[in-house]
Amino acid sequence: MNDAWERARETYRQTPIPEELEFAVASAVRAGSRRRTSRRAIRRSITAALAGCACFVLLINASPTFAQAVSNVPVLGRLARVFTVAEYTVEDREHLIDVRLPALELEGATDLEQRINTEIQTRIEQVLQEAEDRARETKAAFVATGGDPEEFMPIVISVDYEIKCQNDQYLSFILTKTETLASAYTEYYAYNIDLEAGRELTLRDVLGPDYLELANQAVREGIALREQDPDNSYFKPDEGGFTSIAEDQTFYLNQKGNAVVVFEKYEIAPGYMGMQEFEVPLPTAGT
Amino acid sequence: MEQTTHQRLTDYIVAHQEVFYRLAYSYVKNRDAALDVVQESIVKALSKSDSLRNPEFLKTWFYRILLNESMNYYRRSRRLVSLEEAGLAEAAAPQGDHGARLDLYAAIERLDPREQTIIRLRFFQDMKLEEIARVTETNLNTVKSRLYKSLGKLRALTGEECSYE
Repeated sequence: MNDAWERARETYRQTPIPEELEFAVASAVRAGSRRRTSRRAIRRSITAALAGCACFVLLINASPTFAQAVSNVPVLGRLARVFTVAEYTVEDREHLIDVRLPALELEGATDLEQRINTEIQTRIEQVLQEAEDRARETKAAFVATGGDPEEFMPIVISVDYEIKCQNDQYLSFILTKTETLASAYTEYYAYNIDLEAGRELTLRDVLGPDYLELANQAVREGIALREQDPDNSYFKPDEGGFTSIAEDQTFYLNQKGNAVVVFEKYEIAPGYMGMQEFEVPLPTAGT
Repeated sequence: MEQTTHQRLTDYIVAHQEVFYRLAYSYVKNRDAALDVVQESIVKALSKSDSLRNPEFLKTWFYRILLNESMNYYRRSRRLVSLEEAGLAEAAAPQGDHGARLDLYAAIERLDPREQTIIRLRFFQDMKLEEIARVTETNLNTVKSRLYKSLGKLRALTGEECSYE
Protein backbone atom coordinates (compact mmCIF):
# COMPACT_ATOMS: atom_id res chain seq x y z
CA MET A 1 0.00 0.00 0.00
CA ASN A 2 1.34 3.40 -0.84
CA ASP A 3 2.02 6.42 1.35
CA ALA A 4 -1.02 8.44 0.35
CA TRP A 5 -3.29 5.69 1.66
CA GLU A 6 -1.26 5.28 4.81
CA ARG A 7 -1.62 9.01 5.46
CA ALA A 8 -5.33 8.99 4.73
CA ARG A 9 -5.84 6.06 7.09
CA GLU A 10 -3.84 7.84 9.75
CA THR A 11 -5.97 10.98 9.39
CA TYR A 12 -9.05 8.81 9.69
CA ARG A 13 -7.74 7.02 12.77
CA GLN A 14 -7.01 10.36 14.40
CA THR A 15 -10.66 11.38 14.43
CA PRO A 16 -10.96 12.46 18.05
CA ILE A 17 -13.35 10.34 20.12
CA PRO A 18 -15.52 12.48 22.37
CA GLU A 19 -15.59 11.47 25.99
CA GLU A 20 -19.38 11.21 25.97
CA LEU A 21 -19.28 8.36 23.48
CA GLU A 22 -19.29 5.60 26.11
CA PHE A 23 -22.14 7.18 27.96
CA ALA A 24 -24.07 7.70 24.74
CA VAL A 25 -23.53 4.09 23.67
CA ALA A 26 -24.49 2.73 27.08
CA SER A 27 -27.75 4.61 27.19
CA ALA A 28 -28.56 3.69 23.57
CA VAL A 29 -27.94 0.02 24.36
CA ARG A 30 -30.34 0.32 27.23
CA ALA A 31 -33.02 2.12 25.26
CA GLY A 32 -32.74 -0.35 22.38
CA SER A 33 -32.98 -3.40 24.59
CA ARG A 34 -35.97 -2.02 26.41
CA ARG A 35 -37.81 -1.24 23.20
CA ARG A 36 -37.14 -4.78 22.06
CA THR A 37 -38.41 -6.39 25.26
CA SER A 38 -41.72 -4.61 25.08
CA ARG A 39 -42.11 -5.55 21.44
CA ARG A 40 -41.32 -9.18 22.19
CA ALA A 41 -43.66 -9.39 25.14
CA ILE A 42 -46.60 -8.59 22.91
CA ARG A 43 -45.61 -11.03 20.24
CA ARG A 44 -45.02 -13.73 22.81
CA SER A 45 -48.42 -13.42 24.38
CA ILE A 46 -50.08 -13.62 20.97
CA THR A 47 -48.23 -16.78 19.98
CA ALA A 48 -48.91 -18.32 23.37
CA ALA A 49 -52.60 -17.62 23.01
CA LEU A 50 -52.62 -19.11 19.51
CA ALA A 51 -50.73 -22.21 20.60
CA GLY A 52 -53.11 -22.59 23.52
CA CYS A 53 -56.14 -22.49 21.27
CA ALA A 54 -54.67 -24.96 18.81
CA CYS A 55 -53.93 -27.55 21.51
CA PHE A 56 -57.33 -27.17 23.01
CA VAL A 57 -59.16 -27.74 19.76
CA LEU A 58 -56.95 -30.64 18.91
CA LEU A 59 -57.48 -32.36 22.24
CA ILE A 60 -61.23 -32.04 22.20
CA ASN A 61 -61.34 -33.50 18.75
CA ALA A 62 -58.96 -36.28 19.56
CA SER A 63 -60.32 -37.53 22.84
CA PRO A 64 -63.95 -37.76 23.86
CA THR A 65 -62.95 -38.30 27.50
CA PHE A 66 -61.05 -35.05 27.49
CA ALA A 67 -64.06 -33.22 26.07
CA GLN A 68 -66.16 -34.69 28.82
CA ALA A 69 -63.64 -33.81 31.47
CA VAL A 70 -63.49 -30.23 30.28
CA SER A 71 -67.24 -29.86 30.39
CA ASN A 72 -67.14 -30.83 34.07
CA VAL A 73 -64.69 -28.12 34.96
CA PRO A 74 -66.52 -24.85 35.52
CA VAL A 75 -63.52 -22.57 35.27
CA LEU A 76 -60.52 -23.78 33.39
CA GLY A 77 -57.27 -23.16 35.13
CA ARG A 78 -56.32 -21.84 38.46
CA LEU A 79 -56.02 -18.17 39.03
CA ALA A 80 -52.36 -17.45 39.05
CA ARG A 81 -50.53 -14.67 37.40
CA VAL A 82 -47.27 -12.80 37.41
CA PHE A 83 -47.51 -9.09 36.91
CA THR A 84 -45.34 -6.03 37.11
CA VAL A 85 -45.59 -4.22 40.42
CA ALA A 86 -42.89 -1.66 39.96
CA GLU A 87 -41.10 -0.20 37.01
CA TYR A 88 -38.48 2.43 37.53
CA THR A 89 -35.33 3.92 36.10
CA VAL A 90 -32.38 5.57 37.75
CA GLU A 91 -29.98 7.48 35.57
CA ASP A 92 -26.94 9.38 36.77
CA ARG A 93 -23.20 9.57 36.07
CA GLU A 94 -22.48 6.36 37.97
CA HIS A 95 -25.24 4.09 36.83
CA LEU A 96 -28.16 3.55 34.57
CA ILE A 97 -30.61 1.28 36.32
CA ASP A 98 -33.71 -0.12 34.78
CA VAL A 99 -36.03 -2.31 36.79
CA ARG A 100 -39.21 -4.18 36.00
CA LEU A 101 -40.13 -5.91 39.20
CA PRO A 102 -42.54 -8.82 39.09
CA ALA A 103 -44.90 -10.05 41.73
CA LEU A 104 -46.90 -13.19 41.92
CA GLU A 105 -50.57 -13.64 42.63
CA LEU A 106 -51.72 -17.09 43.62
CA GLU A 107 -55.27 -17.78 44.50
CA GLY A 108 -55.55 -20.04 47.50
CA ALA A 109 -51.85 -20.20 48.29
CA THR A 110 -51.21 -16.99 50.11
CA ASP A 111 -48.24 -18.31 52.06
CA LEU A 112 -46.37 -19.33 49.00
CA GLU A 113 -47.32 -16.15 47.24
CA GLN A 114 -46.01 -14.07 50.10
CA ARG A 115 -42.83 -16.02 50.49
CA ILE A 116 -41.91 -15.75 46.83
CA ASN A 117 -42.80 -12.10 46.61
CA THR A 118 -40.72 -11.28 49.67
CA GLU A 119 -37.85 -13.27 48.24
CA ILE A 120 -38.01 -11.41 44.93
CA GLN A 121 -38.19 -8.11 46.71
CA THR A 122 -35.24 -8.74 49.00
CA ARG A 123 -33.18 -10.26 46.24
CA ILE A 124 -33.65 -7.25 43.99
CA GLU A 125 -32.92 -4.82 46.79
CA GLN A 126 -29.79 -6.68 47.68
CA VAL A 127 -28.67 -6.90 44.06
CA LEU A 128 -29.19 -3.19 43.50
CA GLN A 129 -27.44 -2.29 46.73
CA GLU A 130 -24.45 -4.42 45.78
CA ALA A 131 -24.39 -2.91 42.33
CA GLU A 132 -24.44 0.59 43.74
CA ASP A 133 -21.61 -0.17 46.13
CA ARG A 134 -19.66 -1.68 43.29
CA ALA A 135 -20.27 1.34 41.09
CA ARG A 136 -19.06 3.63 43.86
CA GLU A 137 -15.96 1.51 44.50
CA THR A 138 -15.14 1.21 40.83
CA LYS A 139 -15.48 4.92 40.39
CA ALA A 140 -13.36 5.66 43.44
CA ALA A 141 -10.67 3.32 42.11
CA PHE A 142 -10.94 4.92 38.70
CA VAL A 143 -10.46 8.41 40.10
CA ALA A 144 -7.72 7.30 42.53
CA THR A 145 -5.69 5.91 39.65
CA GLY A 146 -5.81 9.23 37.87
CA GLY A 147 -9.01 8.84 35.85
CA ASP A 148 -11.12 11.87 35.14
CA PRO A 149 -14.45 11.48 37.00
CA GLU A 150 -16.18 12.94 33.96
CA GLU A 151 -14.97 10.07 31.85
CA PHE A 152 -16.28 7.34 34.10
CA MET A 153 -18.48 4.98 32.20
CA PRO A 154 -21.69 4.33 34.09
CA ILE A 155 -22.56 0.81 35.09
CA VAL A 156 -25.70 -0.36 33.38
CA ILE A 157 -28.00 -2.61 35.36
CA SER A 158 -31.24 -3.97 34.20
CA VAL A 159 -33.64 -6.19 36.07
CA ASP A 160 -36.40 -7.90 34.19
CA TYR A 161 -38.47 -11.06 34.15
CA GLU A 162 -39.88 -13.43 31.63
CA ILE A 163 -42.67 -15.95 32.00
CA LYS A 164 -41.56 -19.23 30.53
CA CYS A 165 -44.51 -21.45 31.16
CA GLN A 166 -47.96 -20.92 32.51
CA ASN A 167 -50.60 -23.58 32.40
CA ASP A 168 -53.11 -25.26 34.60
CA GLN A 169 -50.59 -26.96 36.70
CA TYR A 170 -47.35 -25.08 36.54
CA LEU A 171 -46.07 -21.58 36.52
CA SER A 172 -42.45 -20.92 35.66
CA PHE A 173 -40.73 -17.59 35.33
CA ILE A 174 -37.20 -16.30 35.46
CA LEU A 175 -35.87 -13.13 36.89
CA THR A 176 -32.77 -11.70 35.24
CA LYS A 177 -30.26 -9.15 36.35
CA THR A 178 -27.84 -7.87 33.75
CA GLU A 179 -24.90 -5.74 34.71
CA THR A 180 -22.82 -4.16 31.99
CA LEU A 181 -19.47 -2.70 32.84
CA ALA A 182 -17.13 -3.55 30.01
CA SER A 183 -19.00 -6.63 28.89
CA ALA A 184 -22.39 -7.73 30.04
CA TYR A 185 -23.02 -10.35 32.63
CA THR A 186 -26.45 -11.69 33.42
CA GLU A 187 -27.61 -13.59 36.45
CA TYR A 188 -30.73 -15.72 36.33
CA TYR A 189 -33.08 -16.62 39.12
CA ALA A 190 -35.78 -19.08 38.24
CA TYR A 191 -39.09 -19.58 40.01
CA ASN A 192 -41.01 -22.76 39.23
CA ILE A 193 -44.25 -23.29 40.97
CA ASP A 194 -46.52 -26.29 41.17
CA LEU A 195 -49.92 -24.64 41.33
CA GLU A 196 -51.77 -27.76 42.39
CA ALA A 197 -49.49 -28.62 45.26
CA GLY A 198 -48.89 -24.96 46.07
CA ARG A 199 -45.14 -25.24 46.32
CA GLU A 200 -41.96 -24.69 44.40
CA LEU A 201 -40.86 -27.36 41.98
CA THR A 202 -37.52 -29.08 41.97
CA LEU A 203 -35.90 -30.87 39.07
CA ARG A 204 -36.67 -34.13 40.82
CA ASP A 205 -40.40 -33.29 40.83
CA VAL A 206 -40.32 -32.73 37.10
CA LEU A 207 -38.00 -35.49 35.96
CA GLY A 208 -38.37 -38.12 38.64
CA PRO A 209 -35.72 -39.82 40.79
CA ASP A 210 -33.33 -40.19 37.85
CA TYR A 211 -33.29 -36.45 37.27
CA LEU A 212 -29.50 -36.06 37.50
CA GLU A 213 -28.91 -38.72 34.91
CA LEU A 214 -31.61 -37.49 32.57
CA ALA A 215 -30.46 -33.89 32.71
CA ASN A 216 -26.78 -34.75 32.33
CA GLN A 217 -27.59 -36.93 29.35
CA ALA A 218 -29.54 -34.10 27.71
CA VAL A 219 -26.79 -31.58 28.36
CA ARG A 220 -24.08 -33.86 27.00
CA GLU A 221 -26.12 -34.55 23.87
CA GLY A 222 -26.84 -30.85 23.49
CA ILE A 223 -23.16 -29.96 23.77
CA ALA A 224 -22.16 -32.66 21.28
CA LEU A 225 -24.75 -31.38 18.82
CA ARG A 226 -23.79 -27.73 19.13
CA GLU A 227 -20.09 -28.52 18.94
CA GLN A 228 -20.57 -29.77 15.40
CA ASP A 229 -20.66 -26.12 14.41
CA PRO A 230 -17.01 -25.03 14.41
CA ASP A 231 -18.04 -21.56 15.67
CA ASN A 232 -19.19 -23.06 18.93
CA SER A 233 -16.92 -24.31 21.63
CA TYR A 234 -17.27 -25.55 25.18
CA PHE A 235 -14.76 -25.95 27.95
CA LYS A 236 -13.49 -29.52 28.19
CA PRO A 237 -14.31 -31.30 31.46
CA ASP A 238 -10.69 -30.93 32.64
CA GLU A 239 -10.77 -27.20 31.86
CA GLY A 240 -13.66 -26.74 34.24
CA GLY A 241 -16.28 -27.60 31.65
CA PHE A 242 -19.47 -29.55 32.09
CA THR A 243 -19.34 -32.71 34.19
CA SER A 244 -22.69 -32.79 35.91
CA ILE A 245 -25.49 -30.44 36.78
CA ALA A 246 -25.66 -29.16 40.32
CA GLU A 247 -28.31 -30.40 42.74
CA ASP A 248 -29.84 -26.96 42.63
CA GLN A 249 -29.14 -26.24 38.98
CA THR A 250 -31.14 -23.30 37.65
CA PHE A 251 -33.96 -24.45 35.40
CA TYR A 252 -37.29 -23.32 34.12
CA LEU A 253 -40.21 -24.96 32.38
CA ASN A 254 -40.80 -24.05 28.77
CA GLN A 255 -44.15 -23.77 27.00
CA LYS A 256 -44.27 -27.50 26.51
CA GLY A 257 -43.78 -27.99 30.24
CA ASN A 258 -40.35 -29.52 29.74
CA ALA A 259 -37.50 -28.62 32.05
CA VAL A 260 -34.80 -26.43 30.55
CA VAL A 261 -31.55 -26.27 32.50
CA VAL A 262 -29.65 -23.03 32.34
CA PHE A 263 -25.92 -22.41 32.57
CA GLU A 264 -24.77 -18.87 32.95
CA LYS A 265 -22.22 -17.20 30.72
CA TYR A 266 -18.68 -18.55 31.44
CA GLU A 267 -20.07 -21.49 33.42
CA ILE A 268 -19.39 -24.22 30.87
CA ALA A 269 -18.29 -22.32 27.75
CA PRO A 270 -16.28 -19.26 26.74
CA GLY A 271 -17.99 -15.92 27.22
CA TYR A 272 -18.87 -15.36 23.58
CA MET A 273 -21.15 -18.40 23.70
CA GLY A 274 -23.33 -16.54 26.18
CA MET A 275 -25.86 -18.28 28.35
CA GLN A 276 -26.45 -21.94 27.53
CA GLU A 277 -29.83 -23.66 27.76
CA PHE A 278 -30.64 -27.32 27.33
CA GLU A 279 -34.10 -28.79 27.16
CA VAL A 280 -34.49 -32.05 29.03
CA PRO A 281 -37.24 -34.19 27.53
CA LEU A 282 -39.55 -35.78 30.04
CA PRO A 283 -38.95 -39.46 30.69
CA THR A 284 -42.40 -40.25 29.32
CA ALA A 285 -41.91 -38.16 26.19
CA GLY A 286 -41.36 -41.28 24.11
CA THR A 287 -45.04 -42.23 24.17
CA MET B 1 -30.59 -18.76 21.20
CA GLU B 2 -32.40 -15.48 20.49
CA GLN B 3 -31.03 -14.14 23.68
CA THR B 4 -27.50 -14.90 22.68
CA THR B 5 -27.88 -13.11 19.35
CA HIS B 6 -29.06 -10.05 21.19
CA GLN B 7 -26.25 -10.37 23.68
CA ARG B 8 -23.67 -10.88 20.98
CA LEU B 9 -24.92 -7.82 19.17
CA THR B 10 -24.68 -5.78 22.35
CA ASP B 11 -21.15 -6.98 23.03
CA TYR B 12 -20.14 -6.30 19.45
CA ILE B 13 -21.51 -2.76 19.53
CA VAL B 14 -19.93 -1.90 22.86
CA ALA B 15 -16.56 -3.30 21.77
CA HIS B 16 -16.46 -1.39 18.47
CA GLN B 17 -18.09 1.87 19.45
CA GLU B 18 -15.08 3.97 18.47
CA VAL B 19 -14.93 2.42 15.03
CA PHE B 20 -18.60 3.24 14.50
CA TYR B 21 -18.18 6.76 15.76
CA ARG B 22 -15.31 7.45 13.35
CA LEU B 23 -17.25 6.14 10.42
CA ALA B 24 -20.31 8.20 11.32
CA TYR B 25 -18.13 11.26 11.84
CA SER B 26 -16.58 10.88 8.39
CA TYR B 27 -20.04 11.53 6.93
CA VAL B 28 -21.56 14.10 9.22
CA LYS B 29 -18.37 16.00 10.15
CA ASN B 30 -19.82 17.11 13.42
CA ARG B 31 -19.23 15.67 16.85
CA ASP B 32 -22.74 15.93 18.21
CA ALA B 33 -24.29 14.77 14.98
CA ALA B 34 -21.98 11.75 14.89
CA LEU B 35 -22.93 10.86 18.48
CA ASP B 36 -26.59 11.13 17.50
CA VAL B 37 -26.10 8.89 14.50
CA VAL B 38 -24.32 6.25 16.57
CA GLN B 39 -26.99 6.33 19.26
CA GLU B 40 -29.85 6.17 16.81
CA SER B 41 -28.25 3.22 15.00
CA ILE B 42 -27.76 1.29 18.23
CA VAL B 43 -31.33 1.82 19.36
CA LYS B 44 -32.64 0.74 15.96
CA ALA B 45 -30.39 -2.29 15.78
CA LEU B 46 -31.10 -3.55 19.28
CA SER B 47 -34.81 -3.03 19.14
CA LYS B 48 -34.92 -4.91 15.84
CA SER B 49 -32.38 -7.54 16.84
CA ASP B 50 -35.05 -10.25 16.53
CA SER B 51 -35.16 -9.66 12.80
CA LEU B 52 -31.50 -10.61 12.53
CA ARG B 53 -32.08 -14.22 11.58
CA ASN B 54 -28.51 -15.14 10.84
CA PRO B 55 -26.06 -14.02 13.54
CA GLU B 56 -23.24 -14.63 11.07
CA PHE B 57 -24.25 -11.41 9.31
CA LEU B 58 -24.28 -9.40 12.51
CA LYS B 59 -21.38 -7.20 11.45
CA THR B 60 -22.63 -6.28 7.99
CA TRP B 61 -26.16 -5.93 9.31
CA PHE B 62 -25.11 -3.38 11.87
CA TYR B 63 -22.94 -1.51 9.39
CA ARG B 64 -25.90 -1.23 7.06
CA ILE B 65 -27.99 0.42 9.76
CA LEU B 66 -25.14 2.73 10.73
CA LEU B 67 -24.52 3.79 7.15
CA ASN B 68 -28.19 4.37 6.44
CA GLU B 69 -28.40 6.62 9.48
CA SER B 70 -25.20 8.44 8.49
CA MET B 71 -26.42 8.98 4.92
CA ASN B 72 -29.79 10.24 6.07
CA TYR B 73 -28.10 12.76 8.28
CA TYR B 74 -25.61 13.70 5.59
CA ARG B 75 -28.36 14.30 3.04
CA ARG B 76 -30.48 16.29 5.45
CA SER B 77 -27.57 18.44 6.55
CA ARG B 78 -26.32 19.08 3.02
CA ARG B 79 -29.60 20.69 2.17
CA LEU B 80 -29.19 22.96 5.16
CA VAL B 81 -25.54 23.92 4.73
CA SER B 82 -25.14 27.66 4.30
CA LEU B 83 -23.24 29.12 1.39
CA GLU B 84 -20.44 30.50 3.53
CA GLU B 85 -19.88 27.17 5.18
CA ALA B 86 -19.81 25.46 1.84
CA GLY B 87 -17.33 28.09 0.65
CA LEU B 88 -15.15 27.59 3.70
CA ALA B 89 -15.06 23.89 3.18
CA GLU B 90 -13.96 24.36 -0.39
CA ALA B 91 -11.24 26.79 0.65
CA ALA B 92 -10.01 24.63 3.48
CA ALA B 93 -9.89 21.45 1.51
CA PRO B 94 -6.78 21.75 -0.70
CA GLN B 95 -4.14 21.82 1.96
CA GLY B 96 -1.34 19.42 2.77
CA ASP B 97 2.03 18.98 1.19
CA HIS B 98 0.89 18.62 -2.39
CA GLY B 99 0.38 22.26 -3.22
CA ALA B 100 -2.63 22.62 -5.44
CA ARG B 101 -3.29 18.90 -5.45
CA LEU B 102 -5.79 17.56 -2.99
CA ASP B 103 -4.78 15.39 -0.13
CA LEU B 104 -6.21 11.90 -0.56
CA TYR B 105 -8.26 12.13 2.61
CA ALA B 106 -9.88 15.38 1.48
CA ALA B 107 -10.33 14.00 -2.02
CA ILE B 108 -12.46 11.14 -0.73
CA GLU B 109 -14.99 13.67 0.44
CA ARG B 110 -15.39 14.94 -3.12
CA LEU B 111 -16.78 11.61 -4.21
CA ASP B 112 -20.50 10.98 -4.20
CA PRO B 113 -21.77 9.39 -0.97
CA ARG B 114 -22.11 5.91 -2.41
CA GLU B 115 -18.52 5.99 -3.62
CA GLN B 116 -17.35 7.39 -0.29
CA THR B 117 -18.97 4.46 1.43
CA ILE B 118 -17.20 1.89 -0.69
CA ILE B 119 -13.82 3.58 -0.27
CA ARG B 120 -14.21 3.94 3.49
CA LEU B 121 -15.42 0.41 4.05
CA ARG B 122 -12.68 -1.02 1.86
CA PHE B 123 -9.71 1.04 3.00
CA PHE B 124 -10.57 2.31 6.47
CA GLN B 125 -12.58 -0.67 7.76
CA ASP B 126 -10.67 -3.29 5.77
CA MET B 127 -13.84 -4.97 4.61
CA LYS B 128 -13.90 -7.61 1.93
CA LEU B 129 -15.75 -6.77 -1.28
CA GLU B 130 -18.37 -9.44 -0.50
CA GLU B 131 -19.01 -7.83 2.85
CA ILE B 132 -19.33 -4.41 1.26
CA ALA B 133 -21.85 -5.85 -1.17
CA ARG B 134 -23.89 -7.13 1.77
CA VAL B 135 -23.68 -3.87 3.67
CA THR B 136 -24.74 -1.77 0.70
CA GLU B 137 -27.21 -4.36 -0.59
CA THR B 138 -25.78 -4.28 -4.08
CA ASN B 139 -24.23 -7.11 -6.03
CA LEU B 140 -20.54 -7.81 -6.07
CA ASN B 141 -19.98 -6.59 -9.62
CA THR B 142 -21.55 -3.24 -8.89
CA VAL B 143 -19.28 -2.87 -5.89
CA LYS B 144 -16.25 -3.69 -8.01
CA SER B 145 -17.08 -1.29 -10.80
CA ARG B 146 -17.89 1.52 -8.34
CA LEU B 147 -14.65 0.89 -6.52
CA TYR B 148 -12.57 1.15 -9.69
CA LYS B 149 -14.44 4.22 -10.83
CA SER B 150 -13.86 5.88 -7.45
CA LEU B 151 -10.17 5.02 -7.50
CA GLY B 152 -9.96 6.62 -10.95
CA LYS B 153 -11.59 9.79 -9.66
CA LEU B 154 -9.24 9.89 -6.68
CA ARG B 155 -6.27 9.55 -8.98
CA ALA B 156 -7.50 12.52 -10.98
CA LEU B 157 -8.07 14.60 -7.85
CA THR B 158 -4.79 13.90 -6.12
CA GLY B 159 -2.55 13.35 -9.12
CA GLU B 160 -1.27 10.25 -7.41
CA GLU B 161 -1.42 6.61 -8.16
CA CYS B 162 -4.11 5.49 -5.76
CA SER B 163 -4.38 1.89 -6.62
CA TYR B 164 -4.34 -0.08 -3.48
CA GLU B 165 -3.50 -3.62 -4.43
